Amino acid sequence: MRSAVLGIAMASLTILTCSVVQARPVSYAGGWTLIEVANRASTAGLVHYSPAHNFSVGLRHEWQRADDVKLTAIQPTLLVKRWFGREYQGNFYLTGGLGTAKDESPNKLGSDTASFVGVMVDWETRTLFVSYEARFLEQGALGNQSMHEARFGWAPYAGDTGELHTWLMLEVDRREHFEDKTSVTPLLRFFKGPALLELGYNLTDPSPLVNFTYRF
Amino acid sequence: MNKTISLLIAAALSTSAFADDGRHEMKHQGGDQMKHADINHDHGAEHDHGANHEHESHDHNAMAHDHGDMGMKAATISHTDEISAALAIGGAPVVVDVLGVVCDFCATAMNKIFSKRDEVAAIYVDLDKKTLSLVINEGSDLSDKQIEKLAKQAGYRIAAIRRDSEAMGG
Repeated sequence: MRSAVLGIAMASLTILTCSVVQARPVSYAGGWTLIEVANRASTAGLVHYSPAHNFSVGLRHEWQRADDVKLTAIQPTLLVKRWFGREYQGNFYLTGGLGTAKDESPNKLGSDTASFVGVMVDWETRTLFVSYEARFLEQGALGNQSMHEARFGWAPYAGDTGELHTWLMLEVDRREHFEDKTSVTPLLRFFKGPALLELGYNLTDPSPLVNFTYRF
Repeated sequence: MNKTISLLIAAALSTSAFADDGRHEMKHQGGDQMKHADINHDHGAEHDHGANHEHESHDHNAMAHDHGDMGMKAATISHTDEISAALAIGGAPVVVDVLGVVCDFCATAMNKIFSKRDEVAAIYVDLDKKTLSLVINEGSDLSDKQIEKLAKQAGYRIAAIRRDSEAMGG
């Protein structure tokens, strides 16, 4: 019985497991999204398709630079709930993935199955933004990881449709497997039409942040 | 870790997107067309609050139902070159108050979904007004239910729909 429950839990995990959660990880029905993320921990690319307004499935490739581990995974994301208002929008996502992780370092620990689960909550108006996301990653012999990240953002002006939207943001992350477990990254977000670019610099663990999203 | 995963799985299985305690399926007397006299949601003759009052994508906590905003003027159609041209050749104006439209990704989603429809001659999402302006081709129709459904496919919810002279502010 216990093993059956564990089996169901693991099957569910493979459906829901995840890597890094992105802003708006689910698009409109029929929409595609390209996402690139580079921060102090990793450089990653994700392309996903949304068959429905509340679900997306994508392919993720992530290079964990510190350990020189490369991860490739299928990544589904579920919009569990969206809160609507005239001036705001809030979202609660679950995301995950299942794939393989490969050690490219001189240690040559080989490959292992990787699975991860993540959660993200955000709330935003046209000039205020707050979000929290977390990821729990299991890579067998290549090591497990956990990540928590919170963001606060403020836009000095409310850009209208098609105009350049500019945000000032502060990101605080915690990664237990890093020497500097908690770090702070101020960043700028530029947003215009279907494209979003974020540029920042980690003050605690000196490294650039470059994120790009394109929706089509 | 295991406890966290279990909680996340339980949340996913027990909750669905767009779940909303204040939401009801939209159903108005007089047929398919949702008629709001203005953005202040007239609780008079046009809006049945009887036993069959069911709203979908219709948020009672939102602008159209916010009685604290009494007196706010309903937004009219946005005028772009495309919209003006479509109106000039006989298109029918529609203004949709949309909830949750806060960024250009929202506008992109609405544009992509509505532009696919043959009935739509022109479209503009106005973030300032929080409206979706449509011009429907002469001789075509896009019902309120269809507009609701398309907005939902884009990931958003509508609060009110105004047509013709109401949409033009006349």
